[in-house]
Amino acid sequence: MRRLVLGVLAALGLALGQGDKLKACFIYVGPVGDAGWTYAHDVGRKKAEAALPWLETRYVESVPEAQVVPVIDRFVREGCRVIFATSFGYMDGVLEAAKKYPDVLFAHATGIKRAPNVATYMADFYQVYYLNGLAAGALTKTGKVGYVAAFPIPEVKRHINAFALGVRAVRPDAQVLVRWINAWYDPAKAREATEALLAQGADVFAFTEDTPTVIQTAARKGAYSFGHYTPMLKFAPDHVVSGQIVHWEVIYIDFLKKVKEGVYTPKNLQNVDYFWLLQHGAVEVGADYGVPINPKHVPLLKAAQMTVEGKKVPVYDRIMSLLEAMRRPNPTFDPFTGPIKDRKGVVRIPAGRKATLNELLTMEWAAPGVVGDWPGEPR
Amino acid sequence: MEEALLRAVLFGTPILLAGLGALLAERSGVVNLGVEGMMALAALTAFAAAQAYGPLPGVLAALGVGMLSGLFLGLFAVTLRANQFVAGLAVAALGLGASGLLGKRYEGLPLAHPLPEGGFALVGAVLALLVHLFLTRTRTGLFLRSAGENPKAVDLFGVSVDGVRYLALGLGGGLIGLAGAYLSLAYRPSWTDGMTAGLGWVAIALVILAAWHPLRALLGAYFFGLLFFLQFRLQGSVPIPSEAFAAMPYLLVILVLALSGRSRAPKALGQPFERGR
Repeated sequence: MRRLVLGVLAALGLALGQGDKLKACFIYVGPVGDAGWTYAHDVGRKKAEAALPWLETRYVESVPEAQVVPVIDRFVREGCRVIFATSFGYMDGVLEAAKKYPDVLFAHATGIKRAPNVATYMADFYQVYYLNGLAAGALTKTGKVGYVAAFPIPEVKRHINAFALGVRAVRPDAQVLVRWINAWYDPAKAREATEALLAQGADVFAFTEDTPTVIQTAARKGAYSFGHYTPMLKFAPDHVVSGQIVHWEVIYIDFLKKVKEGVYTPKNLQNVDYFWLLQHGAVEVGADYGVPINPKHVPLLKAAQMTVEGKKVPVYDRIMSLLEAMRRPNPTFDPFTGPIKDRKGVVRIPAGRKATLNELLTMEWAAPGVVGDWPGEPR
Repeated sequence: MEEALLRAVLFGTPILLAGLGALLAERSGVVNLGVEGMMALAALTAFAAAQAYGPLPGVLAALGVGMLSGLFLGLFAVTLRANQFVAGLAVAALGLGASGLLGKRYEGLPLAHPLPEGGFALVGAVLALLVHLFLTRTRTGLFLRSAGENPKAVDLFGVSVDGVRYLALGLGGGLIGLAGAYLSLAYRPSWTDGMTAGLGWVAIALVILAAWHPLRALLGAYFFGLLFFLQFRLQGSVPIPSEAFAAMPYLLVILVLALSGRSRAPKALGQPFERGR
């Protein structure tokens, strides 16, 4: 009898204990140790867990995109109330599972389809890329900046364009040489693409690939580079100038708090779409956390001049003032403000207005100065 | 042009080393589909040992782990007479999985003292020559080749077929280990999960492309390297889409395989040896 009572009490205690916690589960497309995309999401998960005492998390890594539904089934059985799916390719699986489990809240990273219980979210780098482009334009001696690009999709094209607009703002005759490797993760291709660009005279590099390969390769030949996704300064302390750094935890904490507070329910996510930028703190410009520009290169950027509205200003000052302007709650600057023409001379964003979210998300044109193959380029 | 040739050799070297490793096993009659996993495990071992003790111990550790993983494959493919293809795929999966798991703490760390790629490239070329001489000029090499062509004859000579195959897997494993060390200590001095990125499979294709000949493997590997570099060098300057460039090395393998017709694979390749059959 005593055992029974104890057992019931224990079970009750367990149930109560669990009832307090919100269980959020993460589905990753790569290994958490990839030093790129999945790693950054996992850092975000851990920071959210550390910040929210009532949160319990779980994750599954390296889930092939076709396998997302069975993983969701498992998570739901294990009591997950919120499920984050962190790859574009999970989209249809998530929507299918969302119908099956109408009481579970789903959030799909980089997605473009929503439902009453499916939100979408993205921490985007285009503003950061523009700032890095300014620095790249100041640092290139040959006038050739290399970009090793993953896949020719709107997200990557948007980033290259923002970068190229920055480069050209400092050095109007510069070229951004783009090479596609058609992979998110392929260090060998990234290495050889960088070598090919070096052979063609590129002396500053940016990239989209989930390893520090481009940085390491560029540094061997003394070329500058910009880190991608995570702080990569340590891989080439003398050559990494700045870079793009993500803070997924900012979105995760905001989303989970709103779930906990009852702001988000499985019925009202249809219009919840995060496209968070510098102003939200979801991304950071930097060679390392809190280091916007590698101190070793600050003097170079202070010495370099650019023309802004007819006046000469140091590139460093321009970067810092624009960073400030984009961090404000109501940003007073955006790189994709018209008039902007593409490289064929067609006006893509008319004078006096900013690109709309839809224009940003479906960007296929190439900015002036971009040189190279551009699959899907509009005629 | 100079740059292209340099890249051909430097990128071709890991493919060459791993290819020579697979070639040795295949000449003795054992198919080694485990190359990718063995290489990944050796790359991790090299990086971990180099972090702790310096670059040369790193190379030696990779050599050792490569040999051990070759012998491990032998346990299934030779002693237990399991299906060699299945055993090889299992070793590939195991090596990739284990290196990913054990390598987590080395992710995102730079290597303090990378080794020069040129040194590895030189060693690779010399080893191709040595493997060739070993196979054609030594008694042990003769037995190794015979084990792949006619194991019964080796057995009649009173030489252990299994022993010869273990030797080939062990030596070959060492070469594959060197390929792994090249990746994590010189080519890309750092460790990331899955950093072999399919090079092991290219090495296996190289063996067939080279018709099981070490010196042809040398040329073939450099040719792969050249193609690889050119796909990025030419991209954008010729009207060929980037996707077509990316597929080119593989298309080429298929083309060569189709043209080569009946290839001269060792006759006993893939067949476990059993006495009296």
